[in-house]
Amino acid sequence: MKISFPNFMAWLIGALLALTTVAARADAGDMKLEVQLIWATNDKADPNPKHKPIAPEIREKLNQLPLKWANYFEVNKVTLDIPKGESRKAKLSDKCEVEIKNLDGGKVEVALLGKGDPVWKRVQSLPNGDVLILGGNAPNASAWLVAVKRIK
Amino acid sequence: MAEINYSSADDTVLVRAAQKEDMGAFEELVARHRDKVFARALSMMRHEQEAIDLSQEAWVKGWQRLKQFQGDSSFSTWMTRIVINLCLDQLRKQKRRHMESIEAMSEESGGVERQMPAVTVNPTERLERGELRQRIDRGLERLSHEHRTVLVLHEFEEMDYKGIAKAMDCSIGTVMSRLFYARRKLAAVLADLKREM
Amino acid sequence: MTEEQQLKLQAFLDGELPEDETREIISLITRDEEAKALHAELKNTRRAIKSSEANVRLPEPREFFWSKIEREIQKLEPVVESKPSVSFFDQLRRLLVPMSAAAVVVIAGFIAYQQMLPVHSTETEMAMADSSAFTYHDYSAGMTLVWLPFPAENDLAQNSAPATIQ
Repeated sequence: MKISFPNFMAWLIGALLALTTVAARADAGDMKLEVQLIWATNDKADPNPKHKPIAPEIREKLNQLPLKWANYFEVNKVTLDIPKGESRKAKLSDKCEVEIKNLDGGKVEVALLGKGDPVWKRVQSLPNGDVLILGGNAPNASAWLVAVKRIK
Repeated sequence: MAEINYSSADDTVLVRAAQKEDMGAFEELVARHRDKVFARALSMMRHEQEAIDLSQEAWVKGWQRLKQFQGDSSFSTWMTRIVINLCLDQLRKQKRRHMESIEAMSEESGGVERQMPAVTVNPTERLERGELRQRIDRGLERLSHEHRTVLVLHEFEEMDYKGIAKAMDCSIGTVMSRLFYARRKLAAVLADLKREM
Repeated sequence: MTEEQQLKLQAFLDGELPEDETREIISLITRDEEAKALHAELKNTRRAIKSSEANVRLPEPREFFWSKIEREIQKLEPVVESKPSVSFFDQLRRLLVPMSAAAVVVIAGFIAYQQMLPVHSTETEMAMADSSAFTYHDYSAGMTLVWLPFPAENDLAQNSAPATIQ
């Protein structure tokens, strides 16, 4: 099938420009994030009865990462609605707090707070559906994880 | 550089490539020998996370020193020597005294283990592999790091008394005493004797 | 048996006994039950120890362990620029015969790509600048893992078991 070159180019450029506009619109505006504090361990049960196993959906996500633990327990979960340009804090435990700022273009600034002050900070793209996981070691060869999932 | 099929190439080929800064070749070497290097570090340190960290450090050192590797020994032996030296440095820094004072007293008095009757049961025949491994782990943990080091260097690294004495900066007589003590102590643990309880 | 005989017996087992002393020890093992038993014990213990490392496995996945090593190696060496994402451009070029038209589409396509996906090169720079953290990206799964050097204190798990590694 023969297509004239100018028509082909016009179609292709038009399609790409449309795609650019849609993509830009999708990342603008308010964000809704689900933030979870998770305990990762090889122990079969969590001694704290308040902690339950994490949801299968997030479990599946964690299984895709090169992490060595067999079991994950939800310590706390918070949902944040963050308007564009603003920030919100999530206090996940007595010693674990994060602050997330909704930047332009679908990016977030995530800060880990220690005694109210940022001890670590990072800017990261977080498209809808993506998950950012912060983690560190914990006693008895276990680990703490903070999973930030963008749900809107 | 000709394409190498890393997974099927032997260590000599991979080492040569890695010496020319081929990271893919080095990654394959890491994958092949990481368990052995880790096992050696774990035997020395008796702490999983420390063993992981020291293994990692050993691999980085291995990369840095790769051009010095001449093939006098196997690559895996060369790497385990690196990790053992790192473990020794770490143990010296930590100056663990957990069991040392008790064992030093025991050695000074002539060593309980020298008077102990020989264990006649062969543990490798009687025990399941998992249980044997657990008993050995328990036994190794009860040794001071000097005794454990002599055992690791002799049994796993297959160093002779002279080499061990040089590595540990002690006399051959001390190596022999420590090795004897460590072996007898392990024999007692493997036979589940309760004299320490 | 004397202390000296015991150590010589061990040296014999280890192949470290001088030849002129070997005969004496062999004779001792043959005639003395205690020496015979000790020889067997040392031999069995040696066999047991050698088998103990056989099934030890590093408890970290290959990629994770390697990525930590690679990162440390890169810190030793001058920073290498991250490779540009050429596959997308190559795919576009294959579709377009005239080179001038290809340039227009590549630019338009690159803008759309940056809008839709994480800004890979920017994130890589940030991860390297933040030398205390280790970052792992899986773009296809939409996941980023950042490992930080901040261990949790005991209240996270409230686990009363002693921290022992067996």
